Amino acid sequence: MANILETVGLNSQADATLDQVTADATATTKSRRRKGIIVQPENVNEQLKTDRRQPPSSNRTTNPLTVSLGLTRDLVKQNKTTNSVLELIGFYINHFILLSLFFVISIFKNIQFAYRYMFLKVLTLSYYPNKSPQVIREDVNKLSKIPKVVSCILDLKDDEDENGGVLGLTNQIGELAAWCISAGIGQLIIYEYSGVLNQSSESLTSLSRYISKNLTLYFGTDTKPTFSITIPHKNLITFSEGASSTNRKVDLEISLISYVDGKPTIVDLARTMGELAVNGELSPKDINAELIDGELTDLVGPEPDLLISFAPSLDLEDYPPWHIRLTEIYWEPDNKEVSYPIFIRALQQFSNCKVNIGK
Amino acid sequence: MASANFFPYSVNSLVRLIVQFPLFAYIVGFLEDFVIGIMRTGPIPKHIALIMDGNRTYAKNHRLPLKDGHFAGANALVKVLEVCYKVGIDQVTIYAFSLENFNRSKEEVDTLFGMLRDKLKLISENEESYARYNKVRIKVIGNRSFIPDDILKDLEYIEQITKEKSSRKTLHVCFPYTARDEITHSIKSIVQKRVLGEIESQDDITAATIEENFYFGKDVYPLDILVRTSGHTRLSDFMLWQCNEGCTIEFPDVLWPDFGFLCIVSVLFKWSYYKTIQLEEEAIQGKKPNLKEVIPPVLLHELPSPPPAASVSRK
Repeated sequence: MANILETVGLNSQADATLDQVTADATATTKSRRRKGIIVQPENVNEQLKTDRRQPPSSNRTTNPLTVSLGLTRDLVKQNKTTNSVLELIGFYINHFILLSLFFVISIFKNIQFAYRYMFLKVLTLSYYPNKSPQVIREDVNKLSKIPKVVSCILDLKDDEDENGGVLGLTNQIGELAAWCISAGIGQLIIYEYSGVLNQSSESLTSLSRYISKNLTLYFGTDTKPTFSITIPHKNLITFSEGASSTNRKVDLEISLISYVDGKPTIVDLARTMGELAVNGELSPKDINAELIDGELTDLVGPEPDLLISFAPSLDLEDYPPWHIRLTEIYWEPDNKEVSYPIFIRALQQFSNCKVNIGK
Repeated sequence: MASANFFPYSVNSLVRLIVQFPLFAYIVGFLEDFVIGIMRTGPIPKHIALIMDGNRTYAKNHRLPLKDGHFAGANALVKVLEVCYKVGIDQVTIYAFSLENFNRSKEEVDTLFGMLRDKLKLISENEESYARYNKVRIKVIGNRSFIPDDILKDLEYIEQITKEKSSRKTLHVCFPYTARDEITHSIKSIVQKRVLGEIESQDDITAATIEENFYFGKDVYPLDILVRTSGHTRLSDFMLWQCNEGCTIEFPDVLWPDFGFLCIVSVLFKWSYYKTIQLEEEAIQGKKPNLKEVIPPVLLHELPSPPPAASVSRK
């Protein structure tokens, strides 16, 4: 009863400022913790998604109308305390020029968006894989080199959207797997921030079944390539049908990673090393970059050679920091789809880049 | 993406040519101040990091000795720093030297070390020099055990004389630095503290603890913009931990010595534009409340027991 009252109390304060609500909420949490009726949620991934800081450029719901609305609001709103009237007038003149410039930029960005949208459509027409590995291999064979390990950042979209939800993700991974095998790439790392696909072995089995189904569309039923799917965080691995019976190497290793494989894993590593050092099993002097690199490669996977982001602007989304040291990053501005032209253009950029460590 | 917003190299050099005439220099300076004055009225980033890549390619393109390429880069840096501090950015981080740069020839490494020291000395030597006049604190970030003793002594002196000023403007000079080395250093110092008992339990170690033990220390803002010039889309082991969340990463296709006023201003303008939109959206929709705290989980058996269950059909 008391709990319900508290919740109602919170809702009735909806008009109060955010700070107050948060402060109240913290107070409630604290009192509950004292009463011992709070358990820490085990899976906070969903909530973390809302907490994540995003770079300002990841916003794409802009048009001249919203900008002009903001313009008028900003002109009315007083957000600086200045001493003299002259300074105040100067400030507003400058601010007005700034906002007018932003307005011009917003028009320009909309034109640019339309142009890029058409550009991507043309690309989709000119690079159409037609679900045929020969076409993809032919595209790839024009390049001087291909990466060993490719990583892709995928976004979980709303269920209502096109290619949204878990099914959309599964579909995208299936396509990426087929492209990678056709291109001759041996390892694919899929990064999805919240890790919806990494939760259980059931989701792994259904993903594996879907990928096999998709591969038959490319390679036919008899000569299906083999693959394995790993979830490093849960230590789970599944092999496709052909691979489990014979003991040969698989054609593609897929691993699914998420937010927890990044900074939290490094924190865990620091904790474990701390415990080992306290028990005298590890000396702090022995900790070096090679040791940590070895541990993190075991825990998360290798450093990718190419990172493809399928988001409209470059946002690393808390990708494991240790693993992006020399990774070539590719993204297509204003693109929201996981499409073949993006994939092949990323490979083209990789083949043109020259890596010279330090030199 | 970035390339569309920058002027090609030839225009840049033309602008530089015009700027060199005294009268034009005055007018251009006036215009620059005007643009900066406009920008100051919008949202301003707090921390910007620069990977200064392309000095050697610049030297090669202009058939100059390597040394002159680095010298041109140093001049471009002074200009960019001036703009950043005028706009009101508090913290600027520059990638001066990577641990991997020790792979270069000894001659070049020595040139770089010497030049860095001379440049830092130049801007901090007298009361009237740039850093001290503008109250910029200089901090050397990185693995100091790799710096030769004589240069380290000078650098520590420079840190010392710029430290006294109580100012928020800071210049972080990453020298010699790599992000992996920094994470290693942080874990190492955490483990050491754990052994000494300064950190009591392993639950006290969080992501914030790791950040506190970086070379940067505690009083550093989250990174807002990371710029890597010369068009390579790699991070090259620079601030990997800091730049992968909430940070705009720009890869302008310009060599560092050509990275002038227009380039830095367009980067800042773009950030400011998107930030304004973000702030507007937050103003319209309101910030999303923290779900984790507002709806705490409730244990079912802790609830008061319900009224007795009754059934109509069975007696």
